Amino acid sequence: MDAAVTTLKFESKAVIPTDPRTKLFLTVTVSTIMITGGTGGFMNLVRPCLMACPIVFLLLSRKWVAAARFAVTYAILFALELTVLPLLTGTWNFILGAAVGIYTHMLPGFIMGYYLVSTTTVSEFVAAMERMHVPEKIVIPVSVVFRFFPTVKEEYAAIRDAMKMRGITTLRSPMKMLEYRVVPLMMSIAKIGEELSAAALTRGLGAPQKRTNICKIGFGPLDIFFFLLAIPCWVGFFIC
Amino acid sequence: METKSKKLQAKDLINVGIFTAIYFVIFFAGMMLGYIPIFIPLLGLVCPILCGIPFMLYLTKVKKFGMVSLTGIVLGLLNLIMGSGVLVLIFGIIFGVLGDVILRAGKYQSWKCTLLGNGVFSLWIMGYVSRMFLTRDTFFASLVSSYGQEYVDTLMSYTPGWMYPVLFIVTFIGGILGALLGKAVLKKHFEKAGIA
Amino acid sequence: MIELRNINFRYAGGTDAGGLVNIDLIIPDGQVILLCGQSGCGKTTLTRLVNGLIPNYYEGELSGEVLLDGKNISRLPLYETAKYVGSVFQNPRTQFFTVDSTSELAFGCENQGLPEEEIIQRVKSTAEQFDMDNLLGKNIFSLSGGEKQKIACASVSASNPPIIVLDEPSSNLDMSATKDLRRMIQIWKQQGKTVIIAEHRLYYLKELIDRVVYLKDGRIEKDYLALDALKLSVTQQAEMGLRPFDLGAFPVTAHPVASSGSIECENFHFAYTKQRDALDIDSLSLPQAGIIAVIGHNGAGKSTLARCLCGLEKHCKCIVKIDEKPYNRKQRLSLCYMVMQDVNHQLFTESTEEEMLISMAEPATDKADAVLDRLDLLQFKERHPMALSGGQKQRVAIATALVSERKILVLDEPTSGLDLQHMKEVADELVTIQKMGKTSLVITHDYELIVSCCTHVLHLEHGMVQEQYALDAAGLQRLQNFFIESR
Repeated sequence: MDAAVTTLKFESKAVIPTDPRTKLFLTVTVSTIMITGGTGGFMNLVRPCLMACPIVFLLLSRKWVAAARFAVTYAILFALELTVLPLLTGTWNFILGAAVGIYTHMLPGFIMGYYLVSTTTVSEFVAAMERMHVPEKIVIPVSVVFRFFPTVKEEYAAIRDAMKMRGITTLRSPMKMLEYRVVPLMMSIAKIGEELSAAALTRGLGAPQKRTNICKIGFGPLDIFFFLLAIPCWVGFFIC
Repeated sequence: METKSKKLQAKDLINVGIFTAIYFVIFFAGMMLGYIPIFIPLLGLVCPILCGIPFMLYLTKVKKFGMVSLTGIVLGLLNLIMGSGVLVLIFGIIFGVLGDVILRAGKYQSWKCTLLGNGVFSLWIMGYVSRMFLTRDTFFASLVSSYGQEYVDTLMSYTPGWMYPVLFIVTFIGGILGALLGKAVLKKHFEKAGIA
Repeated sequence: MIELRNINFRYAGGTDAGGLVNIDLIIPDGQVILLCGQSGCGKTTLTRLVNGLIPNYYEGELSGEVLLDGKNISRLPLYETAKYVGSVFQNPRTQFFTVDSTSELAFGCENQGLPEEEIIQRVKSTAEQFDMDNLLGKNIFSLSGGEKQKIACASVSASNPPIIVLDEPSSNLDMSATKDLRRMIQIWKQQGKTVIIAEHRLYYLKELIDRVVYLKDGRIEKDYLALDALKLSVTQQAEMGLRPFDLGAFPVTAHPVASSGSIECENFHFAYTKQRDALDIDSLSLPQAGIIAVIGHNGAGKSTLARCLCGLEKHCKCIVKIDEKPYNRKQRLSLCYMVMQDVNHQLFTESTEEEMLISMAEPATDKADAVLDRLDLLQFKERHPMALSGGQKQRVAIATALVSERKILVLDEPTSGLDLQHMKEVADELVTIQKMGKTSLVITHDYELIVSCCTHVLHLEHGMVQEQYALDAAGLQRLQNFFIESR
């Protein structure tokens, strides 16, 4: 039995073997604490760690380009804060200050989210949701959403090509620009959706009994390690 | 089939997924404006207008209680996964359910309820903005030590507290306009093409 | 045993197209049965009755009973029917639900709630049976159409229903993928499954089928044993509106024409990107005002060539010269026009007329009407393009190209999923375009279309030109070698 499981190949995107639930927990940890957490005291220690943590994960997963790109973004933000910000006064100071402030608060969460999405397959997401006893009424739409993102991308690319060939990419009224893009996109998505649901239904989606899921996920020592790391952050979050 | 069951069937759940996907994509395209932070208040206006198009088509496809709530929840979950924090999920649930309740009052047919429903549902977007207001005091308090009270007071005057309810109203209006736009596109294209 | 008793059906809100009238049909276990007939004859509808999509998904007025071993399928919920009937559909891109090929194979079994070990066992043995271990663990979006269709068949097979229904499964497949499909149906036949196939392309099925049911206007017109159906002459088949069982016997009506000049393509090099095949052609000369069939196996670079020619690939530095006048990439965007396989992507406006007008540099209604008239579309000028039939949409796309005075038209699989008559209509359109002095490139794997209208053949393999010939007697022999012998 175990041999059978290990020989059944699944699409795999992860390099460090972490459970999707752990990654989700870490994403929530980073985003919540960075966005709504306090500052000062112990948090002055936690915040830089949480900012660095997503980059570390990307590096560990050998996502060199993404890691570099986000690291550069951080660097630019800090540079702005240290060099340009003191030179500005009044409204401009406020706008830039707010921008930098908002970005430094939100970016770590986004990067962590990027790491989560880019290292987890849809099957793993679905398996994770089913393990967490998320009701089927939510699992099905979420898996359809993930199934459809690449489709939307493909369809949109085709529509853009068609617009290029028709020479209607040049600036027209914003309404026309919106209409030419969104309407054909919605038409084909609606059509694809109809065919997809017919196919899914003939394969028994929506049966009342509990679904099996053969996608293997599970916690390992690494997951426990990450959970332990997150504890002090949360303690700090509630105290400060 | 639709008359047969008031509950959401597998077919409906797939439709929820499809339209939530396209809603999210269009929403995200609108969000790109938000890369420039001074436009953030505008997001509340622009995104619901754009999203009115998929939303109105969505309403012709499912028409069952729970559809908008699910969309709100799934949108919130997507944002959670992408690192936007828990607040967006909470707002998604609250305004999804509220939108659903309003639409059900009009049996998913009444135009008035549709307008109102999309207006209310669109408020989930406030989940993004709210965190700035909810953490406003701590944010400014942290600045006091390094910049001084006087400076911080000036800053606070740029973001007055009354902005918050105003943004709610702006977003609501965005939702209404979105429903109008969606209806227009529905008439102009989807109905003629036979897909609505 | 499947029994259809006195079935009458009409789609809700629609016309009579696709409806069924007084159908009585008994399909014994283990039979491989072909449903054929012109578009709209009701063969797809019949498959939907068997897999329960009618009346549980598609709405309409239904009377009569569909019985599967005495059980009324129409009253079973779809998830129950799924245990007995598996379905494969026309479009490989729209029938997978998960993103990972292994999960996709398991999907049907998972929905039934089978124990984990058994599912794993089934997935493994199915993959072995269909010789597709290499496709496991892949992102389905990265697979070709043929591979996707293979996954669709295998995933039906994994949940092991006794009946399998296929609705035009070969429509979007090239020859080698069609060959794979035939092998899979062969395996099902050996396993003793009942296989019901609604199909336009018949040649690949002739050794598999036991029985042929011919439908016309929603009625069963003829019910043959396979042996008798195969005896029908090509003329008889053509009168019935069917494509031939035997490709070689299909009448050749294409004529090579002396070309008035040539279109020189130079430097068609395009590096490998994730989705598209590489292209590596130094120079290529295409006959002006010809109808050129572009053939080749999957991955040969046909669509990359088309995209580079039309100026859609930014990084392709190719040059096209017509009468010594060079056209760069940007200029080619308005020199060439591609009619995409999914023509829905290229119609934007709310009426056919407006569709024409936005294509013109100086909108002029009379000119637009003249072109619409030529393509038999004038009566639809007020209609929403999306409300037209597939063939009409295709003609609207062609019309926009003509009205914007393109010199070169590229058609990507214009006849996928078309019956004989509609295929011939496309052939006629191509000839009309040719008479207007335009050059067409037709990417196709439809032998019948090529011999109905093309003047030249361009055969690509591995991103290079394998051969290029005019479709004269010698050329026809070469074409047949590719399509018929290599089967």
